[in-house]
Amino acid sequence: MSNLYDLLAHEVIEGIKEGLFTAEEYVCSVIKRIEDVESKLNSFISLDSEGALSSAKLIDRKFKEKENIGLLGGVTVGIKDNISTKDIRTTCASKILEDYVPSYDATVIQHLKENGAIILGKLNLDEFGMGSTTEYSRFMPTHNPWNLDYVPGGSSGGCGAAVAAGECTISLGSDTGGSIRCPASFCSVVGLKPTYGKVSRYGLISYANSLEQIGPICRSVKDVVMLMNIISGKDMNDNTSMSSSPITINDKSNNLDIAIIKELIDGSDDAVTRTIYSTSEKFKEIGCECNEISIKNLNYALPSYYTLASAEASSNLARYDNIRYGFDLPIDDYKWDNYFSNVRKNFGEEVKRRILIGSYVLSSGYYSKYYLKARRLRSLLRLELLTLFKKYDLLIGPTMPILPFKFGEKIDDPIKMYLVDINTVIANLAGIPAITLPVGFSNGLPIGLQIMAAPFEEQKLIDASYALENTINIQRRPNLI
Amino acid sequence: MISKDELAYLAKISKIDLSEDEAEKFPKQLERTIEYIDILEELSSDDPIVLDLQEIKLDELRDDVIKMSGGRRINKNLTEDGFLKGPKMK
Amino acid sequence: MSLVMIGLEIHAQITALKSKLFCSCHGNYRDLKPNTNICETCCGLPGTLPIINRKAIEYSTMISIALGCKIPNKIMFYRKNYFYPDLPKNFQITQYNVYGFSSIGAEGIFELDDSKKIRITRIQLEEDPGRIVYLEGGMNVRNSALIDYNRAGVALIEIVTEPDFTNPKEVRLFLNKLSLTLEHLGVCDTLLEGSVRCDVNVSIKGGNKVEIKNINSFKEVEKAINYEITRQNSMFNRNIKIDSETRHWDDRKKITYKARSKEEEHDYRYFPEPDIPVIILGDNFVSNLQDHMPELPNQRFDRFVSKYKLSEHTSNILINDKKLADFFESTLKVYFSPVEIANFLITDFKSLIQDDIDSSDYLRNLKVKPEHIAELVKMMEGNKISRITAKDILVKIFDSGKLPSEVANNTNAFKIADEKTLMDAVESVFNTEKSAVEDARTNHEAINFLLGKVMKFTNGRADPKIAMRLINNRLNKSNR
Repeated sequence: MSNLYDLLAHEVIEGIKEGLFTAEEYVCSVIKRIEDVESKLNSFISLDSEGALSSAKLIDRKFKEKENIGLLGGVTVGIKDNISTKDIRTTCASKILEDYVPSYDATVIQHLKENGAIILGKLNLDEFGMGSTTEYSRFMPTHNPWNLDYVPGGSSGGCGAAVAAGECTISLGSDTGGSIRCPASFCSVVGLKPTYGKVSRYGLISYANSLEQIGPICRSVKDVVMLMNIISGKDMNDNTSMSSSPITINDKSNNLDIAIIKELIDGSDDAVTRTIYSTSEKFKEIGCECNEISIKNLNYALPSYYTLASAEASSNLARYDNIRYGFDLPIDDYKWDNYFSNVRKNFGEEVKRRILIGSYVLSSGYYSKYYLKARRLRSLLRLELLTLFKKYDLLIGPTMPILPFKFGEKIDDPIKMYLVDINTVIANLAGIPAITLPVGFSNGLPIGLQIMAAPFEEQKLIDASYALENTINIQRRPNLI
Repeated sequence: MISKDELAYLAKISKIDLSEDEAEKFPKQLERTIEYIDILEELSSDDPIVLDLQEIKLDELRDDVIKMSGGRRINKNLTEDGFLKGPKMK
Repeated sequence: MSLVMIGLEIHAQITALKSKLFCSCHGNYRDLKPNTNICETCCGLPGTLPIINRKAIEYSTMISIALGCKIPNKIMFYRKNYFYPDLPKNFQITQYNVYGFSSIGAEGIFELDDSKKIRITRIQLEEDPGRIVYLEGGMNVRNSALIDYNRAGVALIEIVTEPDFTNPKEVRLFLNKLSLTLEHLGVCDTLLEGSVRCDVNVSIKGGNKVEIKNINSFKEVEKAINYEITRQNSMFNRNIKIDSETRHWDDRKKITYKARSKEEEHDYRYFPEPDIPVIILGDNFVSNLQDHMPELPNQRFDRFVSKYKLSEHTSNILINDKKLADFFESTLKVYFSPVEIANFLITDFKSLIQDDIDSSDYLRNLKVKPEHIAELVKMMEGNKISRITAKDILVKIFDSGKLPSEVANNTNAFKIADEKTLMDAVESVFNTEKSAVEDARTNHEAINFLLGKVMKFTNGRADPKIAMRLINNRLNKSNR
């Protein structure tokens, strides 16, 4: 049998149920794996090995006494460090929150706990979710397990790396403009951004609240489905959440009508393009139609995204003034506005830039020039996509236009960095679900295929993804030691 | 164009102090971003402002019921009476 | 002193709500230890989301209806972004009338009296910030701020009027009528401490508008406006330009003073609140509310006049004092005699309770209940006691709460109808008032004088009709 830390979530659950191993044995394996590779990867901001072990022992005890251990009983989960975990430090990878300990659990965390999952620790991210490489974390960057000189993607870089490397079995990240899909693609794992409103955002520390969702990053489609069914649902603590049907794993190929988005292919590196085309051939093999289509307003998508996201961020991050919670800075003789400005000096550069841009686009005189136009574009894009989805079941393309790159390559020029998101922001702007699947490598660096569907059509996404996953044979685990 | 004055104004309304380094390089970087989003000007102003906004019905909203879950929410800087000590106002 | 234009911006807490606007903490934060009436949401802890209170929308719609506003089909919320230590999120969730989306009420009209109407620009629903307490002195004192978030997130209604007022008395009348309306709707108790705030803008002779903030009760508003008009007139007379500025009202020194100009330069960067979807009110929402909402003052007035046949004068007095009007209708349930009861209440009864009219306990802890008044009026109408006696009994039972009949029995207060007793009284008076008796033979006025003396002799208990008859008989007898 492969190492226990390598197992998929459903394999862990079956294994414990069948008595093949105990939860404690499995968790020990995971912890040992972390000890072996964490110094190379730096995925975790907070880690609670001891807590995990005691939880595992408790699960074993319950299982012995024939008690219900939950749908996720014993499975180790890593949580992106912008999701509130009660009594566990939640930093958003920022100095501003480096000592912040929440007094409540996010709704998704409550669901995980109710189902017996073991929360292993908090995973690294770009500060407040703003970035595509995890280089903007104020603590340390995370490294790509497939090649340690390369970025793991972002902003949920810690999730991508940890799951790929076996440091946890499943993870929860968040996606505002591609923050689940980018690291999942760069780390060769599966990542899903749900339909806006499918998963409660209560407890997700807001960056851009009209764009973001919490979602799973796992090593298989089946694990993604299991996690989605546990965390989804209408929540009284989130007025933007909606109820939806659970997702099932089917074995049918489904005659899906698939369209490749021409603009996204055209804008990609050759290696990426080749792999995507060959993958689309695989779809044809399993009985799906595959055509090429064009989307009209795509060149406005990224500028709209940055306008809206920055605007919302400038407001969402206004609360960080260190008065009610935060880090240790004595009030002394400061006048209040000077205190605020001095506290907020501690934001990283990228966060500061986005707040300033956000204030700029919302200020009177510029509001209709940027913000309103961006909102218009958003509506137009969504309408265009909904119309397309009447004809096609799924839209596909490369998740990232480029291969993973080395540290420092894009950090000097914000625009260069923003362009990395060009394929992923579409789904956030339109509020539609999007998944990334590992489909290949080039020079040892992962390539991901992105599939998008109409709102609340996650089932179609999963049907196609599951079928594809079963036909693709690619190396699944990085060689780390 | 983002002048140093404009940057200072933005920093003021955002309540963010900038380091010397940031004050130097931000004008150019921000300008790059603004130039990038300027493309939005090409979009027509005639299109309806917002289509397809998320809606919620009145009866889906919260009932007017009190629910206190106890426990301290603020632990920092409390006086004996329970006030939060804030910085000077003047 | 012509061309004075005054506009109002009133903030009233929806005190009838049990919980806050966006969370389930207590809506009434008074008398609670600081920072105990808070939760993750109203403190703006990271990751929390506003969950709007449905009742707040219903109550604010009722207020909009009462003020003659148009109610939209859908409403939206906006963020007003600014930094301040009493604002947990450093933005306030409020409403904004822009780009085709209206707040809960707009373009209303409020009748001040028969000749004047005030236009209501808009009504919006928003959240209250916390409170900053200053250690000593007022805002000008250099001390650290003590912050209490108990009030943060309480539901507020903001009412903005056009500058249609031309003098402070109109403003006072408006505020009284508004308080009365809110009281009738049962949504805002304007007597609760801190429940209403009023900002005023004043301009004279077509000049610049001056905004006056920090007026913390309706009573102070008239004073503040008077002061400001005087100030502006005096400047005008000395050819000094009146700047458009924000001033604060100091209710101890009774002056307005210039606020720091920083406060005027706010770019609030309004944008739609992403955490609250557009709320669909529904087609029947407004009509349902109108059918079920409490009676408004003018509706009650009409009902008193048409159903109870009260005079307009009497009805007005009752309507303007809701608790008294409620007392009146409770009394009617015990004994239905509207005109008599109303008259008694607005004269004798009201003079006893008048001093407490502004207390929030007004009429609540009174020992005298509707049953008492009903009994008193019933006894009067049954001719068992005179009006004067009734008033005496009322004074007696006011502090004890004893039933009038009990007191009347004990003090022998009932009317004397017995002719023999009355005849004795008449004889006695005729003996002592010989000159009046002489006058009475020719002068009718003097007969009333004699009656008065008989009433006095019998401690007000004589039945006046019978006494009068006996007096006349006696006079005629002596005439023969």
